[in-house]
Amino acid sequence: MEYARMKFYCDEARCIECDGCSIACAEAHELPVGISRRKVVTINEGIPGKEFSTSIACMHCTDAPCEQVCPVDCFYIREDGIVLHDKDKCIGCGYCLYACPFGAPQFPRDGAFGAKGAMDKCTMCAGGPLETNSKEERHLYGQNRIAEGKVPVCAAMCATKALLVGDAESISNIYRARVSARGKGANSPYGWDRAYTK
Amino acid sequence: MTNSLGDMQKSKAIIIFGSNPAVNHPVGFQHLLKAKERNNTQIIVIDPRFTKTAAKADIYAQIRPGTDIPFMYGMLNIIFANGWEDKEYINARIFGMDKIREEAKKWTPEVVADVTGVPAEKLIQITNIYAKNRPGSLIWAMGLTQHSIGTSNTRMAPILQLALGNMGRAGGGTNILRGHDNVQGATDMGCLADSLPGYYGLAEGSWKYFAKQWGVDYEYLVSQFKDASWMTKNGFSLARWWAGVQNVKNDEKIENAGTHLKALVVMGNGITSVAQQAKIKEGLDNLDLLVLADPFVNEAAILTDKKDNVFILPAATQFETSGYCVATNRSAQWRYKVIEPLYESKPDQDIMFELAKRLGFYEQYTKAMLMVETPDGKLAMKDKKTFTWPEDATDEIARIIKTIGLTGWTAERIKKHTDNWHMFDEVSGAGMGPMKGEYYGFPWPCWTKTHGGSPNLYDTSISVKEGGMGFRNNFGLEKDGVNLLAEKGSFPKGSKIETGYPEITKANIEAVLGITLTEEEKAACGANWKVDNSGILVQKALEAGVCPYGNAKARAIVWNFPDHIPMHREPLHSPRTDLAQKYPAYPDKANHFRVMTKYISIQSAKDYAKEFPINMVTGRLVTMNGAGIENRASKYIAALTPEMFCNVHPDLALKHGIRNGDMMWIHSPEGTKIKVKAKYSLTVLPDMVFMPFHFAGHFQGADRTGNFPAGTKPYASGESVNTVTNYGYDIITQIPETKGGLCRIEKA
Repeated sequence: MEYARMKFYCDEARCIECDGCSIACAEAHELPVGISRRKVVTINEGIPGKEFSTSIACMHCTDAPCEQVCPVDCFYIREDGIVLHDKDKCIGCGYCLYACPFGAPQFPRDGAFGAKGAMDKCTMCAGGPLETNSKEERHLYGQNRIAEGKVPVCAAMCATKALLVGDAESISNIYRARVSARGKGANSPYGWDRAYTK
Repeated sequence: MTNSLGDMQKSKAIIIFGSNPAVNHPVGFQHLLKAKERNNTQIIVIDPRFTKTAAKADIYAQIRPGTDIPFMYGMLNIIFANGWEDKEYINARIFGMDKIREEAKKWTPEVVADVTGVPAEKLIQITNIYAKNRPGSLIWAMGLTQHSIGTSNTRMAPILQLALGNMGRAGGGTNILRGHDNVQGATDMGCLADSLPGYYGLAEGSWKYFAKQWGVDYEYLVSQFKDASWMTKNGFSLARWWAGVQNVKNDEKIENAGTHLKALVVMGNGITSVAQQAKIKEGLDNLDLLVLADPFVNEAAILTDKKDNVFILPAATQFETSGYCVATNRSAQWRYKVIEPLYESKPDQDIMFELAKRLGFYEQYTKAMLMVETPDGKLAMKDKKTFTWPEDATDEIARIIKTIGLTGWTAERIKKHTDNWHMFDEVSGAGMGPMKGEYYGFPWPCWTKTHGGSPNLYDTSISVKEGGMGFRNNFGLEKDGVNLLAEKGSFPKGSKIETGYPEITKANIEAVLGITLTEEEKAACGANWKVDNSGILVQKALEAGVCPYGNAKARAIVWNFPDHIPMHREPLHSPRTDLAQKYPAYPDKANHFRVMTKYISIQSAKDYAKEFPINMVTGRLVTMNGAGIENRASKYIAALTPEMFCNVHPDLALKHGIRNGDMMWIHSPEGTKIKVKAKYSLTVLPDMVFMPFHFAGHFQGADRTGNFPAGTKPYASGESVNTVTNYGYDIITQIPETKGGLCRIEKA
């Protein structure tokens, strides 16, 4: 069986800026305060018709710019598409932050080699290069929920199920189901009943 | 709520007054988003502030605080003028709609626009959408209740729904989003100053019923009071208990048997999030004894200057105990204990048991848990010496609380649903497999131990056995010559009686149902279905497809309230002095929950708008809850909202020279002030400010967090907005008027 790549998707029609995802992420991985692996942003707040919110983390790019620019080659991309990096190799230079289109890389305030290593970012709850589910991995990269067969904690916690994660095909299936359910309920905007009454 | 969150997926329109579910009920809000996604449900938001819910709405009206009644009369004006009301429904099921029709005539869109600030076209557009997309669900929360006219607000909303025939329909109803976990359960259990559990009231008959059910003598209960007359009087309320404490400066007459309130025990209530903070502080400072039982330090301990006789008891969290809680749709869910209580903390019930032991009434307090009903209508003791918590308490509640139909809520049945929650439909709550015919958590009324619960209140399209019913007969059979029972043809499906009927009593059951009871049955049953231990009255009613509480009309006229129909009255502190004269507040009310409460004398005392021209509303943040102590003790949540702030429109801020991020003072007509950080926001109009109520620890500019016992200080502290919320209390419930007050701002 073939899998597509692992992807995040945030349905902005559903995101309500509750920050459940970012808090769950910080709690689960015991991040230092100020490290935002995931962040909820709201655009045009207070402007009717234009306000919307979305949740952003590392997008786990196929052709990841961070990996392209890293001078010490600390990034690696797993077979399932999750982009991870080796904190023992990372020198904390910040090139990846320049390259990343999403502002995903985070740098600890307590020096280049603080509690979460040189650079920290979303691991899609897949840990790092150290032994899977070891104490060391947990300390440096946080929980490895993927290895335990669990959904990443942000999407698991999402109140409105705006934030989806999984292999791209499953995500698109969920989103397709939402789209195709549109207008099939009590108040269909089209169809026989609406056009000609029952 | 009459319906349920899932049921909103069946609505064609959802109108939301004074509620912000995207922030207050993020998980429940999913159902509204799904309704929009799947049904193109029109979401309408009426709120002084452009909330996160408004951001997801199809249409939004920015209303002046405290003017919801004019807005709804304005809707009714348009509805009646166009004949959009459900005439058949009104004739068969409503008493007094003609009076509403008369009042609505006065509220033309232009008059409404002047009072509410919502343009006439927008009111017309909203009314069109809402009237033409039925069933429509109406949601409200504290934005309607926390006003001096809160009770009228909460009558007005159902009247709008009744006029459109939206009550008692799937996808319709009035759906009140409660403020906290298990508020519905706390209300049902009568955690109030004016009722025994189960809405039995405080009448002597109710006390006698409870005495019998608790297995104690009525005289024993009387002996606990100064005299029997005090049993039927309201106590002090949460809003104004401080007025009863000795040495609190107060010119309002107290009626408390010539004595003062000496001790206060607080269990899990953030009393720092109640209005009149300066008065609360004065009350706390002057108590003889203060006991605070909470998982986190209750900030009342930080606010007070009292040095002795303040006790902080470590209470366990919900994860460290078990028992059921009641959801907003009147359904029960079991909670299992996850861990044993940490350190020396104790669950609430253990704290109460220990207290009862020390005070010498432990036996009387716990006896009812060991009692059972017998088929001949008597009470007997169970065949065991000690009770099992919480199962025996659950069964006691099921045995005693008949008014709202908790009879079917035995511990065994509730657990069965919780253990099998995958077997219930997400939208309707209907069960499958062995739970077929039951609804998740048996939403009350759940009439018997075989009844499956009632998904939507007042729904006549299904039989009583399946959860159907008409409106309750609670106020007599007729008023001024008008029939108060439902008219012919309006009855729950499958009923033997095809018209209205009174509630079932021992005296009328044979005549109403057309049956004959045996002598044994007669001997066994109680005076009416609410006090009948035998269950025969309910059983016989259900067999005939008849609802035990009757089948009556809903009242648009409430003749025992000061306003017989809801009338607009300006907030006590109104920015429109001209309108305060036209729509004045109530006369002052003596002995309102034991304390004289002012209305017109406050409102007419001065032209507040001159000195305090800015509307002030308070509300929630999505990251916090109640008084906020447990949230501010989380470093990650504190990082998102590290400081108390005030949302202010840049245009207003500019006038006062306040820049984004500056500190600013908020002054209240109470003579109090708070210092908070200015946060520019376009969600508020330039004549109003918004502040969250989750902060505490600072008081009128002074940092009091040094009062925290070592290691208990939260990551974030700040001024409580309730230091500056204005005086004002509801005329019936005494809830504070925190959603309509005034203030003045200045740069700090």
